[in-house]
Amino acid sequence: MSRIDAPLRVPFTLLFGSAALWLTLASVFSLLAKVQLLPSGLGACEWFAHGRLEAAARNAFVYGWAGNALFALNLWLLSQLGRFEIRNGWMAAIGGLFWNLALTWCTVSVIVHGPGAYALLDFPAGAGPVLAVSFALAGLWPVVAYAKRPTGHNFAAQWFVVGASVAFLLAFVLAQVTVVWAPASGVVQAVAHSWYVRSVELLWLGGSALGFGYYFVSKVLARPLHAYYLASVAFWTYFLFAGWTAPAALIGSPVPLWVQSAGVVGCVMMLVPVLLIGLNLLGALSKEGGWSRAWNSTSLRFISLGLTSILASIVLAAWSSDRAVNAALRFTSFSEGQGVLLLYAGVTMCVFGASYAALPRVSGGRWPSAAAIHTHFWASLLGAVGTVVSAFAQVGGRSPDWAFVAAGSSALLLLGHLAFASNAFATLIGGGESPQSHPAHD
Amino acid sequence: MNDRNRHSDRNRPRQGGPGPEGFSDGRLVEVHSHIARDKQEPAQGFSMTPIFVVFLFCAFGFWAGLYLTRNSRGFSASAFDLDAPVASASVGPAVFEPDAAKGEKLYLANCAACHQPTGMGLPGAFPPLANSPWVAGDEKRIIKIILVGMAGEVEIAGAKYNGNMPNVGAALKDAQIAHIATYVRSAWGNAAEPVMDVSVAEVRKALGSRGQYSPKEILEAHPLGK
Repeated sequence: MSRIDAPLRVPFTLLFGSAALWLTLASVFSLLAKVQLLPSGLGACEWFAHGRLEAAARNAFVYGWAGNALFALNLWLLSQLGRFEIRNGWMAAIGGLFWNLALTWCTVSVIVHGPGAYALLDFPAGAGPVLAVSFALAGLWPVVAYAKRPTGHNFAAQWFVVGASVAFLLAFVLAQVTVVWAPASGVVQAVAHSWYVRSVELLWLGGSALGFGYYFVSKVLARPLHAYYLASVAFWTYFLFAGWTAPAALIGSPVPLWVQSAGVVGCVMMLVPVLLIGLNLLGALSKEGGWSRAWNSTSLRFISLGLTSILASIVLAAWSSDRAVNAALRFTSFSEGQGVLLLYAGVTMCVFGASYAALPRVSGGRWPSAAAIHTHFWASLLGAVGTVVSAFAQVGGRSPDWAFVAAGSSALLLLGHLAFASNAFATLIGGGESPQSHPAHD
Repeated sequence: MNDRNRHSDRNRPRQGGPGPEGFSDGRLVEVHSHIARDKQEPAQGFSMTPIFVVFLFCAFGFWAGLYLTRNSRGFSASAFDLDAPVASASVGPAVFEPDAAKGEKLYLANCAACHQPTGMGLPGAFPPLANSPWVAGDEKRIIKIILVGMAGEVEIAGAKYNGNMPNVGAALKDAQIAHIATYVRSAWGNAAEPVMDVSVAEVRKALGSRGQYSPKEILEAHPLGK
């Protein structure tokens, strides 16, 4: 296996190292943003306005943490599954470097000049093309690895990861064109923006996380997935309907009714892939003590938690797309809680799980501190629960008590992420002296 | 290997990931490829799951089509609000079409008491509208008379009528007056152009709050045609 892992080392270390740094930074921004909502607050300094911190935290989290981590892990996963030996790893490294430079510029701009009108597209116009080219260099390796696989065999994890990588680049370029560079009319901009956000959340981040789910559930449990022949239906329906869920965010706004209704239909139709994915993955986990084995495997503990959260969040999205429910929940903190459920409790947990398995493989070392792993798990679990619950609890209106819970949860998350990042750096660097000296188990 | 044996090892994934009892990557891909190709897990026998999934998918698709057609207002690009009244939401600003049939109903309700359903009027008091040069020609004449009324003696076809018509049109909408005028101008041997609601609106605006016309005033403004 080291034939495959060894050439990955440089780009993987660079990308995952950046991801861990961005995660820490995003947690700091997020904590400050939550503290701003407390009655005492941080004062009226412009740079520390809640909106700026929140936007900076979102960008750092999605593009910095999830983006870099997925570059690294998707490349690693598809290299494993396709027996792919990367030869031009420097391209991925260069892509990652420019991605991070552009992102640093974006973050500084959001803090100093304030965010733009469109979440996740609120950075300087010039950064868009840099990010797109960087992504093409660093993020499309799964496609190469899949195309070059030696046998005709393939596996659902590969489809999800390849689909996720292609979907992001497509959505990003189209959103850049229609929203930033050649703005379409207002209504089209809003529709394109909502489509972009859902594509990032469900296809790129969610799709990759589901890919990890398919891989690790089967691998750790050492059994085929339940009703696996349905996986291709799950994959296609997931990628078909995910984009159509976007207009549900625009119910009640002045976009044509049929677009809004298509969003509702998209949200409900997502229940089909949710059911099939649940059948594949949770079905396999529910057989023969799967859950307890998942609990005892660090990777699968995180991933089974993440998968459950992703599926729950999509079910919640279908429920809240009902027009009557939506009218009550629109403009409340409900969508915030749902976002945390999907992106943190869902996607990020899966990424954590995958990294616990991938980092030792690539670096040849091992996780140095079991205590740090425990700290990380419990802090991020409790932090995620606290954040989600406080968001849902404030649907009726902001309350100072729940703001304290949210700030406390953010502090817990920061603690967990510090433990994770330090542990990850030790693994990436410490294991590096002689990767060949450790016999690989596989 | 049971859970207790794994306990000492938990949370410290060894090198090589999930450990020796996990699938190897090659085996994992191969096993699933075979399942996908054979559609059924071997030794499982007939499964209800695929049938169930097909039915479920059909049910979702059926509901989706139903929901989309019922909640999209004909896929109109200008329909934004499900709760908006249908007419304004789906057809936009209504286009007026003068309708003699509507005009007849309105005539019977508002005018026929004096001018009679036959349009012949009553001798001495209410002048006839049938075959009358007063209702033909310039549409402004009939609109003005309907809007503010007319008092005084008129002579039609040799007979004199001394009537006092009130401002019937003040209580009617522009479109209703246009329908009535259109009907009157096309019934009982009359053959004049239909009247549009915008013409009524213009005249109503120009008249403001003036009182009844006398026959002399109205004929000065709009002389009878031949």
